Amino acid sequence: MKLEGGQISTSGLSFLLICYIFGSTIIIIPGREAEHNIWLAYIAGMTEGLIFAFIYTTLAQRFPQKTLIEINDLIYGPILGKLISLSYILYFLQLTALILRDFGDFFRGVLMPETPLVVFILFSALLGASAVRNGIEVIARCSIIIGPLAIVTSILVTLMLLPQMKITNILPIGDIPLKDFIKASHTVASVPFGETIAFLMVFAFMEKEKVKNIRKLTLLTIILGSIFLLINIFQTACTLGKTAQITLYPTFTAIRLINIGDVFTRLEALVIFAFLGLGFLKLTVSYYGATLGMAQILKLRSYLPLVLPLGVIIVVTSILHFENTIENIVWTSDIYPYYSIPFQIGIPLLSLLIAMVRKLPKQKTGSKQQQK
Amino acid sequence: MYIILLFLGFGGIVLFEAPGLIYQKYWRELIFFFLFLGLAFTLSLLAVIGIKLPSPAEITEKIVNFFLKPLSKLF
Repeated sequence: MKLEGGQISTSGLSFLLICYIFGSTIIIIPGREAEHNIWLAYIAGMTEGLIFAFIYTTLAQRFPQKTLIEINDLIYGPILGKLISLSYILYFLQLTALILRDFGDFFRGVLMPETPLVVFILFSALLGASAVRNGIEVIARCSIIIGPLAIVTSILVTLMLLPQMKITNILPIGDIPLKDFIKASHTVASVPFGETIAFLMVFAFMEKEKVKNIRKLTLLTIILGSIFLLINIFQTACTLGKTAQITLYPTFTAIRLINIGDVFTRLEALVIFAFLGLGFLKLTVSYYGATLGMAQILKLRSYLPLVLPLGVIIVVTSILHFENTIENIVWTSDIYPYYSIPFQIGIPLLSLLIAMVRKLPKQKTGSKQQQK
Repeated sequence: MYIILLFLGFGGIVLFEAPGLIYQKYWRELIFFFLFLGLAFTLSLLAVIGIKLPSPAEITEKIVNFFLKPLSKLF
């Protein structure tokens, strides 16, 4: 039984991954406790993120054409596997709610302060639900359009901000307590990179002949995406300096400063469109993971009936999560990096070790099934 | 007013999804659809009539602190 008939190409996966990494990171900029050394924290966080990706892709290559839910079933057995999968689904649901909340807060905060939060969240969720109903192939194709647009926008923004950048803003380099640095870099690793665990629900739909290249492709894409992200972080740190600490959305504040000969000014409204696309793709991937996972656990023939009910639950929990934006940002930097450890590194690492010790997936099982 | 909108919204979801499932005789899917929709409706109704529901962020914060506090004493 196959719930998803679509297949994604290598370019689709690459752009989807780049958009996912950019996603809400570009707005909330996690790891701000590293102050002017934030770019160093990003390099360390990206290295940690590559280790995460190595584990996920090793799992995906070991169990080709299998989603996280099926992998859990094979490794931990039907009962424990289902329990672990259920915890992952709850995590994906919460992740989707958090992404929606980040974008809802952002749009209400900088664009339309009088509009109720629920309006942004509801309509973003509806857009996401429509994409999820269309399947992973459509989501991947959307990323092929949105990805390059976001990359070009970020490069243009960086070029336009060159006159405002002061390299002295990031000096002195390395002047940060080790504890703060580790905390900041782990936050960076957990927010965009660790969240790529949702791609274990997507790797299963790669074109068959491309499965062998998943690890190489994913690691290269993450490095490429990280370089673009690093350019953005560097640009924000150089432009805003210490004031980046007191702004809610540093990237947005930096973009507001663009002024080329009094002609190109206030470009933030245009850049928001690229941000919106990135947010849409990020929420869609985790929403898709949660819905497909739930359908696989319940052994349904289609995941479509669950899309809207789960969407409503996501919208309600998204609003319930925090009273205000500050609470959201504090929670993301103080609680989320620790809370996500078991989902992002603990369970996947354990799964990989068990699969290696038990030499899973066993070839014999496959041949027996074929005989039947 | 909001409650009427809520009923209309959920009615719309049922009309959009249920007939197709009945036509295809996807009974198992229909049961789970109504189960999750019921949960979603209860949550939204409670939120709309102003009953304070626990925040998932607070719950996770309590869980994290439960594990982190003994660890922070060690370091």
